[in-house]
Amino acid sequence: MREIQKVAVIGAGVMGAGIAAHIANAGVEVVLLDIVPKDAEDRRVIAKGAVQKLLKTDPAPLMHPRNAKRIQPGNIEDDIALLGDCDWIVEAVIENLEIKQDLYRKVDAARKPGSIISSNTSTIPLSALVEGLPTGFQSDFLITHFFNPPRYMRLVEIIEGADTRPEAGRVARDFCDKRLGKSVVTSNDTPGFIANRIGTFWLQASVVEAMDAGLSVEEADSVIGRPMGIPKTGVFGLLDLVGLDLMPHVLDSLRTALPSSDPFQDVYRKPELIEKMIADGYTGRKGKGGFYRLNTSGGGRVKEAINLQTGAYAKAVRPGLASVAASKKGSIKALVSHSDKGGVYAWKVMSKTLAYAASLVPEIADDIVAVDEAMRLGYNWKFGPFEMIDKLGAAWFADHLAADGMAVPDFLRQVGSGSFYRVQNGALQYQTVDGTYSNVLRPDGVLLLEDIRLRSKPIAKNMSASLWDVGDGVVVLEFQSKLNSINPMILSMIRKAIDIGEKDYKALVIYNEGSNFSVGANIGFLVVPSMLKLSGVVGWMVGQGQKAYQALKFAPFPVVAAPSGMALGGGCEVLLHSDAVQAHAETYAGLVEVGVGVIPGWGGCKELLLRWAGDTKTPRGPMPPVIKAFETISMAKVAKSAAEARSLRFLSADDGITMNRDRLLADAKARALALVDGYAPPEPKEIQLPGLSAKVAMQMAVGDFRKQGLATQHDAVVSGELSTVLSGGDTDLTETVIESKLLELERTTFKRLAMKAGTLARIRHMLSTGKPLRN
Amino acid sequence: MKPVVIADYVRSPFTFASKGELKGVRPDDLGSQTVRGLLDRCDIDPQDIEDLILGCAFPEAEQGLNVARMIGLMADLPLSVGGTTVNRFCGSSMQAIHMAAGAIQMNAGEAFICAGIESMSRVPMLGYNPLPNPDLYEHKPQAYIAMGQTAENLATNYQIARAEQDDFSVASHKKAAAAQAAGRLADEIIPIKTPDGVVAADGCIRADSSAETLGTLRPAFDENGSVTAGSSSPLTDGASATLICTEDYAGKNGLSPLARIKSISIAGCRPEIMGIGPVGATKKAAKRAGIDINDIDVIELNEAFAAQALACIRDLDLDMGKINLDGGAIALGHPLGATGARITGKVASILKREGAKTALATQCIGGGQGIATILEAV
Repeated sequence: MREIQKVAVIGAGVMGAGIAAHIANAGVEVVLLDIVPKDAEDRRVIAKGAVQKLLKTDPAPLMHPRNAKRIQPGNIEDDIALLGDCDWIVEAVIENLEIKQDLYRKVDAARKPGSIISSNTSTIPLSALVEGLPTGFQSDFLITHFFNPPRYMRLVEIIEGADTRPEAGRVARDFCDKRLGKSVVTSNDTPGFIANRIGTFWLQASVVEAMDAGLSVEEADSVIGRPMGIPKTGVFGLLDLVGLDLMPHVLDSLRTALPSSDPFQDVYRKPELIEKMIADGYTGRKGKGGFYRLNTSGGGRVKEAINLQTGAYAKAVRPGLASVAASKKGSIKALVSHSDKGGVYAWKVMSKTLAYAASLVPEIADDIVAVDEAMRLGYNWKFGPFEMIDKLGAAWFADHLAADGMAVPDFLRQVGSGSFYRVQNGALQYQTVDGTYSNVLRPDGVLLLEDIRLRSKPIAKNMSASLWDVGDGVVVLEFQSKLNSINPMILSMIRKAIDIGEKDYKALVIYNEGSNFSVGANIGFLVVPSMLKLSGVVGWMVGQGQKAYQALKFAPFPVVAAPSGMALGGGCEVLLHSDAVQAHAETYAGLVEVGVGVIPGWGGCKELLLRWAGDTKTPRGPMPPVIKAFETISMAKVAKSAAEARSLRFLSADDGITMNRDRLLADAKARALALVDGYAPPEPKEIQLPGLSAKVAMQMAVGDFRKQGLATQHDAVVSGELSTVLSGGDTDLTETVIESKLLELERTTFKRLAMKAGTLARIRHMLSTGKPLRN
Repeated sequence: MKPVVIADYVRSPFTFASKGELKGVRPDDLGSQTVRGLLDRCDIDPQDIEDLILGCAFPEAEQGLNVARMIGLMADLPLSVGGTTVNRFCGSSMQAIHMAAGAIQMNAGEAFICAGIESMSRVPMLGYNPLPNPDLYEHKPQAYIAMGQTAENLATNYQIARAEQDDFSVASHKKAAAAQAAGRLADEIIPIKTPDGVVAADGCIRADSSAETLGTLRPAFDENGSVTAGSSSPLTDGASATLICTEDYAGKNGLSPLARIKSISIAGCRPEIMGIGPVGATKKAAKRAGIDINDIDVIELNEAFAAQALACIRDLDLDMGKINLDGGAIALGHPLGATGARITGKVASILKREGAKTALATQCIGGGQGIATILEAV
């Protein structure tokens, strides 16, 4: 029996509702309570409204609209008894100690013994929250600090009090990890915990230094952004996203909570410009704009940036700082060492921030691993502060701090000429506060290629893909090309995986640790053959892919695909050709080929047709599978979660979904091994398709779409060709079509489309802008 | 000729397809509850019924397998009562009435239930397996033209402005809302049991409809056109049923009929302007009834689209004040197979209610047809 079967969230604001939504995403029933507004006709209106809003918010807090049904809205006056069968109660109400404590007393009276209560506070210490409350309450209480938006931000900080019973902490951790898919970081009960303590300092230092040094917001964001492995929103873009009006509260609360000796006090400042922006409603993206705004006057869409000195907006310019250019070759060190204003700025901000972080261990967390993880997952930094120091060199960093007259934290001094992390005997180790090294331990059920890479060599490798032995007779095929796009080297590695697998392994898992499983075939290879009208070359290329994917499908051992992030086009076709899929919950799958003017050519049309035809829920007759596949492919529908991918049949009903990214490989491996006993490759299928009359039906639909202005001229051309494939070409209703005939149809159709000027224009546009062309 | 009367008329509530309260109800359940509701209102011996004639525009899946017979069995009609499903698209259940009237003339029965169903939630328009004939499509593509496009064609041919269509649609909602408020719709509605409770009221009527709101909608069928979702009848779930019998039978059984059927007609027209179908059909029926169209007192003219209805009104030179007194399909909804019996039953009840002499029910039909029924006071 699961330890947490039902959850309550109190407070239906952005965070509370978002947490409730994510609990519903995990398949768990959740009660969402808020107050009864004054004179309300419907006393549950706030929580009900929050659920409605969840369904409209973008990016979606819910992984599938139907998950909203798992959220039961109520109010804390009439529905408090609902807490009686909740195993975990999350409080996410306003940051006011008195209100929270008052609520806790009500909750304590209604909850069942042994239920866990946690607060999502970001500013109030746990010790203050539980002061004066019954000891039973204190022992069941902890802080679970989620980040916004809860579905997408992988970090949860857990803070336990002196009286929290260890079992409560274990159960909460386990649920957040396995069911909600979060990385749980344990923090001490100190102001701002880990991520916001460092993050707020960093944001504030960046703003203050930019203003003092006279940098523009565009310049600042170009420095404190991509070159450091920080999201391209940078600092000012991030503040726009978070909301400028939130910052004064956060700053004030940290200022009050921290001692006067804390370095935070030195960067604390409330610039007049920002105060004025907030007063004028320039609170960021939710307001009239922020440091950036979109000027739509005169019908255009012009991105503008504010001048930090004058407060006037002007068209945003792309800064071309030499330091940023230098960082492309020499990474962070080259950036902070550069003598231009960008380099000076980068050094000023990061020297302070990294030194601050180094001074906070073990105050805020027991080890550096927790700090780095918190910054990676709470602020989407590619590298945590200690990883960044290692990139600079700890000794180099300490020397430069000293040279600038800045204090060198003891911990940094202790590392000396060593590093915070090292690899010893194939294991990643970190330096502890007492100066020794310990292994970075992964929780049970976490298996990472990142770790395997440290302790072993690949079985096979080329420029774009590798094969790894992950134990127990399972081989992993890892894509490593740019964006994991599929190219001839990956195709050859697929063939190799099957050859090696057949000899020496029991099962194959296709998995990687990139941001995206695969964005699809590398369409750059199509440009030249398309320009030169070499349709034979295109046909050969498509044929090579078909052979590789067919080999996957009919391999003599189980093949499991384990996607996370985007699995588009040829990446999606990998899923369609695997025996099973174990997908990360955040998998975005779709057959998007029409966006570049072609159709799925590596068996995607065929497999999607077969899936809909074999689905018992599909209405009978020859057309429903054709219509479903046509709608999905012609509109390039992309599932925005693994759950949606199941609705679109990119995943089948018995494919698995893993919530925690770090557990994906272990789950996929287990899934593959479970298929080994008595495995037999699938038999080739046959399908009855209606032929020409189905094509006419699809043409009619496209014609209507054209009239409605929903399809462009080339959309009609591509859809027309797609309808040829999906209707089965020249077949008749009374005949059966075999898989190889469908592949041939895909190939000839793909070739025809690749020779068209409209398709070439789409490909070129996608390659140069990353966006589809509407021609 | 034997006098044939419409003895009674009922319907289910009409609700939006795919989002309304009846989306979870199978159309055969919807039909059987409606037919049962009709019988429960009429104090007759069900053994007297010859046949259940049921209209349905897409008779497949849950509406397939000669659903009329299934509904007869579900509604516990005596086994001796037959069941036939008829399809004339939107005209299906008016056709059912015509068939009963014709059978009565042949001495092939005294009393009939003429009903209609359509769950547009559960069986999509065009059905699950649309397989048009490639040769026909090549030579006469208009045979398969989308309905919205036919409305656009009429709007263009008759120069019916967007604003005129929107005003017509708002008026439909206002009339329907007023009728609902006055209880004139509840009179004819059989409450339907659903898994989520009983549904007793129409779901498509927007009492607050306004020309301003409708004016903001984008064209639904042609980006350069004028027909919007607001000036089209919505996709709807619903059922309707009438009791059609000889005047003699009604008298013997103490029924108080709503109206007598005076004449009926069918007329084909060009598929690409199918919405003009009522013009030809009405002219034919009036001629057969020996009356002048101007002498008709009350009219139900189905509102497939505002543009379509307005084109017919213009061609037939009809008085707007006589038409769709309790609102039309733009407000109430248009469950294809159920509409014909609704408008025929409705205009019969209005005829009686208003103490009028002559009534007309007419509608357009995809593929290019019109159907009409002229009624007179009993």
